[in-house]
Amino acid sequence: MKILYSWLGDFLENPPPPQELAAKLGRIGLKVEGVEKTGASFTGVCVGRIEKIDRHPNADKLSLVDVNDGSGVMRVVCGARNIAVGQKIPFAKVGAKLAEGELKKAKIRGVESEGMICSAEELGLDGYDNSGILVLPEDSAVGADAATLFPRADHVLELEILPNQAHCLSHYALARELSVFYGLKLKEPSAAKTEAGGTAVPVEIKVPETCPRYVAAVLKGVKGARTPEWMASRLRAIGSNPKGNILIDGSNYVMYELGQPTHCFDIAKLSGPRIVVRRAMPGEMLKTLDGRDLKLDPGMMVIADSSRPVALAGVMGGLDSSVSDGTDAVLIESARFDPPTVRLASRTSGIKSESSYRFERGTDPELPAKAARRLAGLILEAAPGAAAEQFADNCPVKYQPAEITVEPAKINSILGTGIADGEIAACLRAFQPDLKDSRPWNFVPPSYRQDIEGICDVAEEVARYVGYDVIPSVSAMPMLPSSPTQQWTAASELKASLAGLGFSEVFNYDFVSARELGACGLAPETALEVKNPLSADYQYLRPSLLPGLLKTLRYNLNRGRETALIFETGTAYARRDGGRAENVVCAGLMYGPLPEGGSWLGGGAASDFYQLKGVTTRLFAGKGGFRYEKPQNAPAYFQPGRCLEMRLGGASAGYLGNIAPAVASACDLKDGEILCFEVPVGALAAAGKAEFWQRVARIKPVSPFPHSWRDLSVVLEERHEWSELERSFSGVQDLASARLMDVYKGKNIPAGHRSLTIRFTFSSMEKTLNDADVSARMASILDRLTRSFGARLRS
Amino acid sequence: MNATEWKEKLSAIRDSFSVSIANKPAENPEALELRFLGRKGELALLLRDLKDIPLEERRALGALGNSAKAEMEARLSELKGAAPAAGPAAPGIDLTLPGLPYPKGSLHPLTITMNRLAEGFLKLGFTMSDGPLVEDDYHNFEALNFPPFHPARDMQDTFYVDVKDAAGKDMLLRTHTSPVQIRSMEKQEPPIRVFHTGRVFRSEAVDASHSFTFHQIEGLYVDKGVSMADLKWTVDTFMKDLFGTGVKTRFNPSYFPFVEPGAEVDMSCVFCKSGSGRCPVCKGTGWLEVMGAGLVHPNVLKACRYDPAKWSGFAFGAGIERFAMLLFGISDMRMLYENDLRVLKQVA
Repeated sequence: MKILYSWLGDFLENPPPPQELAAKLGRIGLKVEGVEKTGASFTGVCVGRIEKIDRHPNADKLSLVDVNDGSGVMRVVCGARNIAVGQKIPFAKVGAKLAEGELKKAKIRGVESEGMICSAEELGLDGYDNSGILVLPEDSAVGADAATLFPRADHVLELEILPNQAHCLSHYALARELSVFYGLKLKEPSAAKTEAGGTAVPVEIKVPETCPRYVAAVLKGVKGARTPEWMASRLRAIGSNPKGNILIDGSNYVMYELGQPTHCFDIAKLSGPRIVVRRAMPGEMLKTLDGRDLKLDPGMMVIADSSRPVALAGVMGGLDSSVSDGTDAVLIESARFDPPTVRLASRTSGIKSESSYRFERGTDPELPAKAARRLAGLILEAAPGAAAEQFADNCPVKYQPAEITVEPAKINSILGTGIADGEIAACLRAFQPDLKDSRPWNFVPPSYRQDIEGICDVAEEVARYVGYDVIPSVSAMPMLPSSPTQQWTAASELKASLAGLGFSEVFNYDFVSARELGACGLAPETALEVKNPLSADYQYLRPSLLPGLLKTLRYNLNRGRETALIFETGTAYARRDGGRAENVVCAGLMYGPLPEGGSWLGGGAASDFYQLKGVTTRLFAGKGGFRYEKPQNAPAYFQPGRCLEMRLGGASAGYLGNIAPAVASACDLKDGEILCFEVPVGALAAAGKAEFWQRVARIKPVSPFPHSWRDLSVVLEERHEWSELERSFSGVQDLASARLMDVYKGKNIPAGHRSLTIRFTFSSMEKTLNDADVSARMASILDRLTRSFGARLRS
Repeated sequence: MNATEWKEKLSAIRDSFSVSIANKPAENPEALELRFLGRKGELALLLRDLKDIPLEERRALGALGNSAKAEMEARLSELKGAAPAAGPAAPGIDLTLPGLPYPKGSLHPLTITMNRLAEGFLKLGFTMSDGPLVEDDYHNFEALNFPPFHPARDMQDTFYVDVKDAAGKDMLLRTHTSPVQIRSMEKQEPPIRVFHTGRVFRSEAVDASHSFTFHQIEGLYVDKGVSMADLKWTVDTFMKDLFGTGVKTRFNPSYFPFVEPGAEVDMSCVFCKSGSGRCPVCKGTGWLEVMGAGLVHPNVLKACRYDPAKWSGFAFGAGIERFAMLLFGISDMRMLYENDLRVLKQVA
């Protein structure tokens, strides 16, 4: 909301300067986002006429201009291109105060300049053509003070009004707020002293529950009345566009001044003429002021004449009944409408107006008559021949003010303060001057503060009144045990491990497009859909983190990166039993050579399945019951035959594998293997123990005796998988580990076979194993390998 | 004593030292040190005898004596377990060659920020609580004192999802973390002290300071007699935990439907030497808006079947992005969702 400083000054005696005012408003919770200067603040500039233009002797781009300022002709140096003989221009004489300061005598390229022809910027004027000097209207009087041609110097305050600050939505209201909280003296706006009565246009309210008050004033003889310049200039200053017709501009002016929306009907265009406030009937239409044909529904409240709706109540008037320059008899509507009804009508019709904005937030029940009088007064001033014929205040439902019992102790217990009773009373009296002294006080909030409903609201007003700084920073809160959630802990551990392994965490949006889903082989119809997405790019809620990760990979590869180790922890959404399911997932991608960019120490091979498997193995190291299995239900974006499922005890701990080449190419990622893992954090947390002391690993004793190891190379058919071999070693006495050292195929190995070199480490808790002990155990191993897999020693 | 006799004597002392060292269990190093190298030790006395030797020979003998002394000291210190004198230098290699490049990982700035803020809440005795991102109207709005058709709903432009809640209304993406207040109070009787951090969504155009996806953190405390002073202390302590004891906080009146009285929390700008008036972070005001806070609205307590006559509480919360931008010196929020590894890898 824009507030013009001088307009505010109409209602305040001795208002503080604009910046101080802004600070004062801020401290009572009214946020001023900016204070801008407006209008002409320059002095010493007169209207001049260009008499003659010569070229500057020493500079191609400068001219020597003779300017007549009414008292004589002066010679000035000018750099503008848009000058012409006969132009009226703002001429600043030496000593003039301009936007950048005082103008001093100057010599420009060797020629003395006796003043300056100004641009809009040099005058500090906004909103004018600034491409050269500012050309003034032809009819400007030479020698006159140029400042009189522009709005007077002023300030515009830009305020952010919160939804509970409906009582501040006008100049008068803001002045009132300042008077309440800072004791500034409030002045009332002038208004027409219209006598009540008259029956020129009868009013019937059929829905008093949503229209408790409807003031209808009738003025006749207003034809041809124009908006005075002072009013137009104020409206322009706060960004409203005056039309020149006092009926339209006056109505807007009163809204910005008092906060009460009003509407003017052309009585000649009302059938009856009469006013009926009612619900719309099925099938009724209204052509609104903005030219739209609106289909009304019975949930909407309308203002109708005797035959049809003429306005959508509180939202917008109808075009057919609107005032024009030919209007002679006008009906001023100044009413109170039910906020939810107006909001619903505004939303269903899709029309938002300054009027609906104010009605939605709630208007002052006592304001309609005052506003109607004010508007009538403004119109009558502009139309000297006009007269008031009717002033009907229809008020079927009287406003009942709230009564709140205020115990000072309660206020202090809410705020945690020791504010003296007298100070609390002073605050209440600022709202209600006739507050009785007996305690507890019976506080009646003013009609414009219907948001003050209970003791907590009163406490806030008291805090605003004495200043929030009065609240001390003290507490006697008892200690309470605290802990993070299991899921948070599980996710944090995964994140820390991954970062330690060289992965960078990324944050993608939860929204994906149908195309991204399709590229990953995910069916859009199974994903949750956003009904009002920002764009088609953000239409679905991600069922997997993969689309975002692939996008991130592509983004970074396009910026010259060769290797990317990335991961993300976030929510994956699914549709379940007609509702939604959410799962927190930790997923990552591995791509490109490691170490990144190569090293003189070697390495530099592209990441492959086994590198990723190393990562996941590290992630789950020390977690009891962790194992890899052939996947049963792996997501379709994993390449078949290049995917494993991870299990923790009885629960799935996710998948790892290669991204299917078709998915990669659909995502514009063509070269190289993309490795992916995904771990369901929620399932992991649920499978784990709640308490830290239960979660930590129990440490097993280690042997005090030296261990022994032997390597064994065997040749066996390729169809026997390593995990089968590993399982066959179980039960070998004193076997501490069996580590695969080499896999070899090729020369000297029969087709369909491979050679495996395995290092067996033995360790006993009882003794140092001697050669014979180890040999016996190795024989047992070879025997198992031969019998189960037909393995033979490699010679 | 002449030079030859002196040399013989030195050699005898050396031999006797070697024998003693070899039989170390018999004599401890301190005793050996005293016997051979002490002020009245054998070697010291011998060196003193040098004064009787002619000057031209004295220098060479002195050097011999000193090298014997150094050798004995080295062997003694070895015996005592002290580091032996460094051996000869290893063959020359270029130590400035780069080391093995272990890949550098990183946590996201928002994670680092969230972790730190969560830590602050945990220290103050708030237990972490959780709730869904796809919410129903009741938990996101109605129970938080945003009645239907209330203009406060305009503060939070909402994304709707194509599933219905139990009341038959469209479900929505939560617009703030506050629904978790309701869910926590529904689950637990007072007193309650919980917090939650996570992702929220608003249908807003993206620019340098707005995003349709962002993160919040907020805490709730309900007990008997909880006041604005308790809130102020908690917020103050929380901010001091984050930015040091020098930081100041200030409350300004503000509005959130679910609290009354409501406040906005400013912290004193720790990024400027205040007074210059040119700080780009606080724009020279000396204050930064960082949080929203207030006492839990009686209507909210009622919705959770907490009796407002008996219980009162406070809630306060902050945007994670705001803090992350302050901490990491980021001026454009979009940077946090671009996932450029050149940016992310700058963070530890």
